[in-house]
Amino acid sequence: MFNIESWDWESKEKMLADTAKWKDKFEDVWEPYISQDGEKIASIVKIGEGEHNIAVNEGTWEEPFEKIWYSRFSPDGRLTALITKDMEWTMAVDGKTWEQMYEYIWDTKFSADGKIIAATTKVDSVYGITINEKTLECPVQLESIASHVISPDGKISAAIAQTVPLGQADLDGFLKGSWSVVVNGKPWKNNFVDVYGLTMSNDGKNIAVEYRDSICEYGILVNEKPWNEKFACTWEPVFHPKNSDEITAPVRQWGQWFLATNGRIVWDNGFYSLLYPTYSPDGNNIAAAVAPQFAKWTIAVNGQPWSVTFGECIQKPCFSPDGRKVAAIAKDKGNWLLVVDGAVLGEAFDNIWEPVFSPNDDKVICKVEKNGKYAIAVNGKIRRNDYEALWNPVVSPDGTKVMICGVEDGKYYRKVVPLSDI
Amino acid sequence: MKPTIVKREPVVDEAMDQCEARLTEEEIEKVINEVIDKETGGRLWTYINTCIHCGLCAEACHWYLSNDRDVSFAPVTKIKDTLWVMLEKKGKVDAAFIKRCSQISHTECNACRRCGMYCPFGIDIAYMILVVRRICAKLGMVPLYLQDTVHSHAATMNQMWVKPDEWIDTLQWQEEEAQGYVPSARLPLEKEGAEIMYSVIGPEPKFLAQLLGNITVIMKVAGLDWTMPATAGWDNSNMAMYSGDFEIMARVERLHHETAQRLKVKKIVMGECGHAFRGAEYDGPTWMGWMKPPIPIVHAIAFYYDLIKSGRIKIAKKIEGPITSQYPCNVIRNAGLGSKLRYIMSAVCEDFVDLIPNDRHAFCCNAGGGTINCGPPWKKIRVQSAKLQSENFKRTGAHTIVTPCHNCHSGVEDIVDGYKLGMHVKFFSELLIEAMEIPEHLKPKEE
Repeated sequence: MFNIESWDWESKEKMLADTAKWKDKFEDVWEPYISQDGEKIASIVKIGEGEHNIAVNEGTWEEPFEKIWYSRFSPDGRLTALITKDMEWTMAVDGKTWEQMYEYIWDTKFSADGKIIAATTKVDSVYGITINEKTLECPVQLESIASHVISPDGKISAAIAQTVPLGQADLDGFLKGSWSVVVNGKPWKNNFVDVYGLTMSNDGKNIAVEYRDSICEYGILVNEKPWNEKFACTWEPVFHPKNSDEITAPVRQWGQWFLATNGRIVWDNGFYSLLYPTYSPDGNNIAAAVAPQFAKWTIAVNGQPWSVTFGECIQKPCFSPDGRKVAAIAKDKGNWLLVVDGAVLGEAFDNIWEPVFSPNDDKVICKVEKNGKYAIAVNGKIRRNDYEALWNPVVSPDGTKVMICGVEDGKYYRKVVPLSDI
Repeated sequence: MKPTIVKREPVVDEAMDQCEARLTEEEIEKVINEVIDKETGGRLWTYINTCIHCGLCAEACHWYLSNDRDVSFAPVTKIKDTLWVMLEKKGKVDAAFIKRCSQISHTECNACRRCGMYCPFGIDIAYMILVVRRICAKLGMVPLYLQDTVHSHAATMNQMWVKPDEWIDTLQWQEEEAQGYVPSARLPLEKEGAEIMYSVIGPEPKFLAQLLGNITVIMKVAGLDWTMPATAGWDNSNMAMYSGDFEIMARVERLHHETAQRLKVKKIVMGECGHAFRGAEYDGPTWMGWMKPPIPIVHAIAFYYDLIKSGRIKIAKKIEGPITSQYPCNVIRNAGLGSKLRYIMSAVCEDFVDLIPNDRHAFCCNAGGGTINCGPPWKKIRVQSAKLQSENFKRTGAHTIVTPCHNCHSGVEDIVDGYKLGMHVKFFSELLIEAMEIPEHLKPKEE
């Protein structure tokens, strides 16, 4: 969260927009988004046939556009959206458009401080990554871009891209390799059959991906260099948070899934399934979603599965800030449940969002949905009012307060609540 | 074992021919034994040992029946000529044999499971066919166009090489088209927390974009809260399931189901496709270790049934004249939606003429199971082997055949064309758009 210390943690409650009025004022109002600091709420609104604008708090952008979509706030609070003018696309930032127009633009990304805004663009059927209006030059023509990421400081951009054109049903060409990774516009030397799961280390120095070398051989590449080991299948790698030379990924061998670090299998147990390996903040522990048996899902921490299992699924584990506790959202018998260290906390919900730990680990706070209304739940129990719309709670840097942003009776409120009160 | 007498016109499939030239017997033996020993369980041996070679499965198979009861097309023969030999010879077979295995399993069987229904022991012959396909896929022996489709899944996570921008652009274009009928219609992209994620198969944005416009109108009229992803994960189809590349199958299914989880929807509603339902409901989740999809998935037939039955969609004027419907194997025989299909057909058609046989006993369109994706080289024998179903269609006297499945749609078009039936082929949603009532307040204002 950018500049979180300077957010307003003193105002107990602010009513920042009467969104109910938007519905009277405009033909159609789309789902709202809020800025990270909760100070702004925005919705794309339809104002006529082929004419859209964005409502932000009590105002709108000056200029309407033919089409607007993907409105997202940058971490520094600027509102971006993808818009069309005269059938061409570009980025608009706080209502002002980039000068360059594109055949298409999508997948907006931000640096951690929001100063850098990047997106994938297409001009004359050539694809590229555009950063703050400048499209990175690439020595080869990119036929497609599957995904892109930028480093937290915005200095490194990387994408999975098709670097070799393929004719129709060109199996030989495909198996020779037509996909690679493009870093700051420069493709890696080699092409591969497929490239998946692009991941960048926190410091932006290292990039890891899964790759497929032939129909049946998968592996991990780190900065172009493959692990020595090949596997029957892999899932996306993750970097150690403090040591970007350590990379971990689920790998499949002998009909089971294992966890491998730098190519070596590090958990003794094989699983029917293994997903979402996650390091603790200090990097000393790893948790992952595992199924020791078919349809019995749980979390394994450092290879040891919890005894409790869930029939339908379990999502990505989340460590507490000190790394001592692990929370995850599981589904069983049609209900979503909050699970912490192998114990279900509180009641079942229709939906649960990503859990947030209090600084001393004693509270797990979540946005939840029940019977069509949203609420804040603490340790699995609803503690605040029902909201029509609600965003994930944010704990203050000193750990004493929680920011809760939501819409009640059509009005958008930003509230700051002492952690001890919820 | 007596060799089977096989009479086939030669077919040139470059990929299979090249693979035959490349494969070594050591490689073949290794892969066969690996798959048999490590990827199949007791049920394969139960099936192999239980079969008494009675041939009742033959009478259930449209390939056999459409080809004048040529025994080389009988399901039991297809296993005899593939797996039995592999097991007997412990994998010591040559590349020409593997090529023939691919021809049998990929191009001459739809894995429709009708034969298993008539087997006195309930042997799942289609399962054994998929084991053969798995062996072939691991050896790279897959018909050219099917393999190309699987490569598309692998590279783009959709069946038709649709690029990320083309997908979003098409949705935005179809939203505009829908607004021509219902000005307030919207195709909401990436709407987290919507009730429904709607997913489709690759051919919709590629060739049949109007179906995306149709669903936008239907969702608006029904007043539903829905969304579609603007990312990969939108395609619910899965030809990797049918080529035998289960790792790619799982990757595609994982992304589809995780996209629904990311969007926090309550259910996935999928367009009219049968094999996609099988992949998304059964084969994909099973490989992933999920008992069922983490977010429930509803096939279009069940979805439209609910909309019509509940009155959310009202029928203004039924479609005139005799209309029949294909019963897609993967959602009728294998998921029990036959009565719901008849209900919706009767709801929108003045004269719904049912097929005989119908429901779970109905015959495959002969495009399913990945056979149509084997492409032009294999079309002639595929259409020739759909003769039985062409006669079934002809008997109905219908002017239109409804196909609530994309593979059925293409396959039935080939049947109509090949046998000069003079019938139209439509998706159910195309009938619904014609028949449903658009409330006054949603209609365009007259100038």
